[in-house]
Amino acid sequence: MSVDTRAYHDKVVLRLIQFSVLWAVVAMTAGVWIAAELVWPTLDFGQFWLSFGRLRPLHTNGVIFGFGVSALMATAFYSVQRTSHVPLFMPKLAWLCCYAWQLVVLLGGLSLLAGWTSTKEYAELEWPFDIAITVLWVCFAIVFFGTIATRKIRPIYISNWFYGALIIVIAMLHIVNNLAVPVTIDKSYSLYAGAQDAIVQWWYGHNAVGFLLTGGFLGMLYYFLPKHAGQPIWSYRLSVVAFWAFTYSYIWAGPHHLHYNAIPEWVQSLGMVMSLVLLAPSWATMVNGIMTVSKSWPKLKSDPALKFIVLALAFYGLATFEGPMMAIRSVNVISHFTDWTIGHVHSGALGWNAMITYGTFYYLVPRLVGRDLHSTALANTHFVLALAGTLLYILAMWAAGVSQGLLWLSVDSLGQPSFSFRDIMVGMKPYYAMRLVAGLLFLSGTLLMTWNLWCTIRGASVVKQRVKPVATEWQITPATGGSAV
Amino acid sequence: MLANALWYRVLFTPGSVFKELASRNQSDPAFIPLALFLLLLPPLCAGIGSLAFGWRLGTPDPLWLSTSQTVLICVLYALLLCFGFFSTVLLARWMGGTYGAEAGMTDYVGLFVVVCAPLAMASVAHLYPQVFLNIMVLLGAAIWSMLLLYRGLPVVLRIPGERGMLMASAIVGWLLVAMVSLLGLSAGLWTAGLGPTVSV
Repeated sequence: MSVDTRAYHDKVVLRLIQFSVLWAVVAMTAGVWIAAELVWPTLDFGQFWLSFGRLRPLHTNGVIFGFGVSALMATAFYSVQRTSHVPLFMPKLAWLCCYAWQLVVLLGGLSLLAGWTSTKEYAELEWPFDIAITVLWVCFAIVFFGTIATRKIRPIYISNWFYGALIIVIAMLHIVNNLAVPVTIDKSYSLYAGAQDAIVQWWYGHNAVGFLLTGGFLGMLYYFLPKHAGQPIWSYRLSVVAFWAFTYSYIWAGPHHLHYNAIPEWVQSLGMVMSLVLLAPSWATMVNGIMTVSKSWPKLKSDPALKFIVLALAFYGLATFEGPMMAIRSVNVISHFTDWTIGHVHSGALGWNAMITYGTFYYLVPRLVGRDLHSTALANTHFVLALAGTLLYILAMWAAGVSQGLLWLSVDSLGQPSFSFRDIMVGMKPYYAMRLVAGLLFLSGTLLMTWNLWCTIRGASVVKQRVKPVATEWQITPATGGSAV
Repeated sequence: MLANALWYRVLFTPGSVFKELASRNQSDPAFIPLALFLLLLPPLCAGIGSLAFGWRLGTPDPLWLSTSQTVLICVLYALLLCFGFFSTVLLARWMGGTYGAEAGMTDYVGLFVVVCAPLAMASVAHLYPQVFLNIMVLLGAAIWSMLLLYRGLPVVLRIPGERGMLMASAIVGWLLVAMVSLLGLSAGLWTAGLGPTVSV
């Protein structure tokens, strides 16, 4: 067995984590601000750039592209090196991805505040940013798939399949949905119109949730959960089956965002049925995760990182059950256009995405800098704040959403609406105040983590970790088929 | 005398009930009637409150339901609560094997009677069905119930605290899913014509 003297490229991983935490603070602060605006509408102080309509896309884009994608790039770069037993392919390109991505998020965020928008939800950025994102995404793909192509071990570990699906599918969705005719530097018009535009938009919107906020983060789960639990995946076969079932069924589910809209009914029914099918692979992954961690229960007492990951699994189970249920047409007619949807999104975004990322950061950062976490007590406090914030948020939005759905569909004996829209929205104020408190709790936990990680990193440098050798029977040799991808 | 009554101990000294459940093989048979009382209390209060005050969902005027619809909803509510309680008991017993629990069925029933008691008693708030009021009261009760679950489960099932925490978290996950299912089922039934008149 030849000894590889090279080291993994981990500095770029740490830098991406730092950016991710920064965007989490910025984007969640924007979220809390707009939650406050729904309680006190004059908080925009008459400024367009502080209005709900501009801050809301800043919040969503900041969380998804700033916090989420930076975390996904960091963890993908970290895990693909270790599961391929080689350093990153084209590390300078990885650095370009790291810094240029932050620049796009920063300028993109400012453009949203300035009022540039394509008006497509989660794809509001205008065409110059769409092109920049495409180029950087291709760079991300080259680094990631290049590392896999040069790997020294025959199998491609399951986390890499999920990260790979993230890269390929998001590229496809982003390009197709953003095809547009530019008119000026800050305005373009979509190539699609009417119902076609809606179908393409929600094919994008739902699968961005599917392959970025679910698939990408499942890659994170499949690498970091077994590592942290010190156990192999409970059933590797189940993880592979879940991957293919997930990939196949998710892509069809988008039309459930358009129930009772001007699209063919069979398309709506297809979206509903495939959403229900999606429950199976989602829960297969949840069971796989819970069974993997179930043998590591002694660690739970002392390890806040594992607590976050276990909680993330529970919320993953909840959100992936609630989603298919809300896709049923007779349920959707009540829940659609209400705050129930906002609650559902946040049970996934706060409970699943943020929690799994926080757990991973608490695991990863001390290992990258070769130090213990600055304060376990602070991390435990963060855990309680995050849990309380998430539960309070969901509860407030469930109550508000179900009340809204029921009230604005209520009719009197003449078939007229029983309640005015204005009266219904005035009645929502207590729930919006409750949501604001929940957001503040969650944000304060994130600030604690920022401080904790900052103190852990301060003055330290990234520890050089050498590439680990591969056992002979797993090595890629000419006899075993060369460097197959 | 009062301090020895099961309902009193369940509500005010739950720790003693947990210890008692852990220390003997046979639980108090009075748990079952107490469980049924706790399960019937929420629909009863909800029914009375709904007929007297209407559903107060935040608008100036309440949403009124006919008597027959109210009774039907309350009966369904009671059946679902019974299903939820006993399915949770069975599920926890099944899970117990994974976590190395040594307990009989009656221990599980006793455990969940204690855990559910604060929530059931808080459902007295249903007598005035103003949603925000109910949310606030039930939120406090839910926190108390969760605390009882996390504290009591390892004691009653005689397992280490960390393992108990994992099992209790799995049960909380199940209960959250059950709650979401209840919301979805309610929405589906409203759309199907049960409950308030909605235009779909």
